Amino acid sequence: MEPKTPHIIREFDDAFGKLGKTVSVMASQCLLNLERAITGLMKRDIDLCRAVIADDNDIDEAERNIDAFGLEILVRFHPVASDLRKVITSMKMAANLERISDHAVNISKRARKMLNKPEIPETQLVEPVYKLADRLLRDALVSFTDLDASLGASLRERDQEIDRAHKRVIATLSERIEEGGELTEAYLHLIFVVRSLERIGDLAVNIGEDAVFLDRAEDIRYTKSRSGQIAAEDDEDDS
Amino acid sequence: MTREDFIAIEHFSFFYGEKQALHDIDMAIPERQVTALIGPSGCGKSTLLRNMNRMNDLIEGVSHRGDIRLNGNSLYDPKIEVISLRKRVGMVFQKYNPFAKTVYENVVFSLRVAGRNKKRELDEVVERSLRAAALWDEVKDRLHDSAFGLSGGQQQRLCIARAIANQPEILLMDEPCAALDPTATLKIEALIRELKSQFTIVIVTHNMEQATRCSDRTAFLYMGRLIEYGNTKQVFENPREEETEAYISGRFS
Repeated sequence: MEPKTPHIIREFDDAFGKLGKTVSVMASQCLLNLERAITGLMKRDIDLCRAVIADDNDIDEAERNIDAFGLEILVRFHPVASDLRKVITSMKMAANLERISDHAVNISKRARKMLNKPEIPETQLVEPVYKLADRLLRDALVSFTDLDASLGASLRERDQEIDRAHKRVIATLSERIEEGGELTEAYLHLIFVVRSLERIGDLAVNIGEDAVFLDRAEDIRYTKSRSGQIAAEDDEDDS
Repeated sequence: MTREDFIAIEHFSFFYGEKQALHDIDMAIPERQVTALIGPSGCGKSTLLRNMNRMNDLIEGVSHRGDIRLNGNSLYDPKIEVISLRKRVGMVFQKYNPFAKTVYENVVFSLRVAGRNKKRELDEVVERSLRAAALWDEVKDRLHDSAFGLSGGQQQRLCIARAIANQPEILLMDEPCAALDPTATLKIEALIRELKSQFTIVIVTHNMEQATRCSDRTAFLYMGRLIEYGNTKQVFENPREEETEAYISGRFS
């Protein structure tokens, strides 16, 4: 969110710029980590899996930096209104991104273990769930950077699609496990992978809810779907 | 039941000669709440505050349109005497200004002017007022020493004790902490929160954090106009007007 007019204290805008840039870089790294984790799994690429695990340190560092920058802004400048919301939501966003990256690491660790065994066709079941989670996460990030409360509020409903896809895949893999056999361990790995993707969907929803707070100063967490109402309010604003 | 429009400012405009200082201000200040007036220098907040007890009447060439009502009574009702009006309103200024008298005599000054000299009554008023101003424990052993011997923060609290000695309904404060250090400022702010159970308080402040800490409502004025007026939490968390956000965020040129 660029300020409409510069702050009287130039250092304030500098500090804000630094915070915003770090959040953007962290978000891009997170998306990349997730993409590499899934590609590593699907294409059985051990180097990609290792890279995701190694690069998670950068994500942890980014989270620490964002918290430090945010704290510095709070202490030095006492921001209010949308500036205050920006600092708070950036810090919350960093926590959500860090957890998303942790899930990417979990996926990579599972993928690495699966590389020791022959490829199984059920791995392909993961891809549709990943695509849904990736799209949801990208939209969550857009809702945050573009201050799009309407998009942010719509994510919870869309997350249900991931939940349904997740359940379908788990049901299929559970059937395979019940059938028994030497692939049981591989199926269990895939269950954990899909479970991570489902959790990433939930974290994307959190980011979307924070985007609503950032844009509208409205806390929609734990409320029933507000997406329709916010979209209607957006339409009113536009007209 | 407290009254939502205890001070009702109704389409109030104010002029210093030809120059219009306030433009059609319309706002209702609730009873026993703290209302902060914020805005850049020259925006009219002190002019508005001073109009609430007609202090601007003393300036030559002033005129007004609209009305201000205190608890339903027009300030400009020809039947109202300005002196009796001012008994209903206490005022505290930016620079603490105790009289060159003892602590005791400062507090009872307005009572003595009104001819009330019974020692027992005055003693009671002194203790009650100093306790209300959170100063009693600090000065009870030197009530008859000069007020100038007190610290700046204590002198300002003495001025508050003096302002409330006559039990006004309204307390107007014009940047009451501008000349105080942070500790004394916090003491006055805590006192303001305490006093609102008894008085309707209007405070002019340049200190945004002070407005957020001690007021229930905030009004933002700019160039003599009321730009936004609402609950302090709403004004500072999610102002409705871009000008308000620009001002409180420090993006005001």
